[in-house]
Amino acid sequence: MNENIAQTNPRHGLLLALGLLSLLVASCGQSRVTSQSANRLTLTGSSTVAPLATEIARRYEDQHPGVRIDVQTGGSARGIADARSGVADIGMVSRDLKTSESDLLAFTIAGDGIALIVNRANPVTELSDEQVVAIYRGQIRNWSHVGGEDRTITVVNKAEGRSTLELFLSHFGLENSEIRADVVIGDNEQGVKTVAGLPGALGYVSIGTAETDAARGVSIRLLPMGGVEASVSSLQQGRFPLSRRLNLVSSLPPEGLAKSFIDFARSAEVADLVAGLAFVPIRP
Amino acid sequence: MRESRTDRLLELACWCSAFMVLAIAGWILFDVMGHGFRRVDLNFLLGSPIDAGRQGGIAPILVSTVLILGVCMTVAVPIGVGAAVALSEYGSEGRRATRLIRASLDVLAGIPSIVFGLFGNALFCRALGMGFSIASGGLTLACMALPLVIRSTEEGLRSVPVEYRHAAAALGMSRTSTLVHLLLPAATPGLLVGLVLGIGRALAETAALLFTSGYVSRWPTSIFDSGRTLSVHIYDLSMNVPGGDGNSHASALVLVALLIGINLTASLMANVWLRRRIRT
Repeated sequence: MNENIAQTNPRHGLLLALGLLSLLVASCGQSRVTSQSANRLTLTGSSTVAPLATEIARRYEDQHPGVRIDVQTGGSARGIADARSGVADIGMVSRDLKTSESDLLAFTIAGDGIALIVNRANPVTELSDEQVVAIYRGQIRNWSHVGGEDRTITVVNKAEGRSTLELFLSHFGLENSEIRADVVIGDNEQGVKTVAGLPGALGYVSIGTAETDAARGVSIRLLPMGGVEASVSSLQQGRFPLSRRLNLVSSLPPEGLAKSFIDFARSAEVADLVAGLAFVPIRP
Repeated sequence: MRESRTDRLLELACWCSAFMVLAIAGWILFDVMGHGFRRVDLNFLLGSPIDAGRQGGIAPILVSTVLILGVCMTVAVPIGVGAAVALSEYGSEGRRATRLIRASLDVLAGIPSIVFGLFGNALFCRALGMGFSIASGGLTLACMALPLVIRSTEEGLRSVPVEYRHAAAALGMSRTSTLVHLLLPAATPGLLVGLVLGIGRALAETAALLFTSGYVSRWPTSIFDSGRTLSVHIYDLSMNVPGGDGNSHASALVLVALLIGINLTASLMANVWLRRRIRT
């Protein structure tokens, strides 16, 4: 009896392992077929665009049975690299293309702006461009110098490689090495949470995110930029100075499925999805 | 002898540390439960994510997570047990090869997960042509879990008294049957500990998986489809999707429940196994 247990157990384990292995091999052969078919599209790039692209892809798949669109993330820089190398059919980039990237074709699917945000408890209602620059350079370190309470300013900056950072720097004529940041953050929601948790914080995030969160009662306030109110509507009217476009990029003129998908992503059919993720739909 | 003041202070300090651990665990559970409990229902567990994950459920993500774990364990357990047996039963302590393997295990255990992600992306996704897939993710996680599985299986093997081996040899048992009938069953609790640690590390992983198994939240049709794990889903909802907090907390609750469930099952299995061994 006891010997029995000792004998059967390892064999069961072995059988199980073999079974799983054969399953692995079986599914291997199966998938080769699907991955080679022309009904598959891969997108990689900006983590800002990825949730939107996923939703657009889902709607496209619903309308075109049999098509599979895989959306991967990793940042705008990777979107550019993967579109160039052909790892991805389409790259996602959350800014305009630079002159060094003119080998790629860009298709705008939505607009976005960057708003300065402070904690709701902060009485400061406006900062001039010069004041913003001085604060980010560490020349002004207390809110009392810009008309606020006597409280140390916590400077929240974006991490290297984020397109929000690049846009912010170029708008204010800053170099990242000049910035004296107290907190370095990655994604928009992280920025919102940081500022909501620190009464003395100053940060900048995507307008749509900030507006949605502020409306939901998160303890932040959007500051106007250059006298223009920071809101999705002023962005849509083209009045807001710090704005960017969300693009799909491709190294060759898209055709077939890629073209069909890009056209769909730029059509009015997905405007509700764009607005749903707090971006601004483009005008056809 | 009278207990000195230092003794009592030390005891107090130790108890404080112990309660702090309890308080931290309690706080995390309380926070996750408080935020996520109302949202977790059958529809959440069985539905697909809708509206970038803010609506709907997490069923495809759960399935991808389990598949990735499955691939990881299918690969890590045989290799891990093999390596552990080689190290503790066939290798002699002083040997250069043994020392080299041990050293490389320590290096593997200390490598940050993002490095595994880049490695997995370069090897499995690109060089081996598996692309963003559950297989790539599972294999990358297997590399990460290997040191844990090997180390604890080795501990398990080492805990078998050397007299057992001598007795087996005296009875004329071959090395193979000693291993299969005596050592491996005896080392099973150790292996289970390694599995639990490995599964824990795998379930917690986001960085390595973003680059290997990917971001796709659709139902996987095979292990060569890209699939998003629970941790990646939680990360994306709380960091990239405005208004994704609610479902992010709910997913966190499911993840914690899954981990606790796996831990309990493993310790239960270890108990059953131990009792059998004692009867033998």
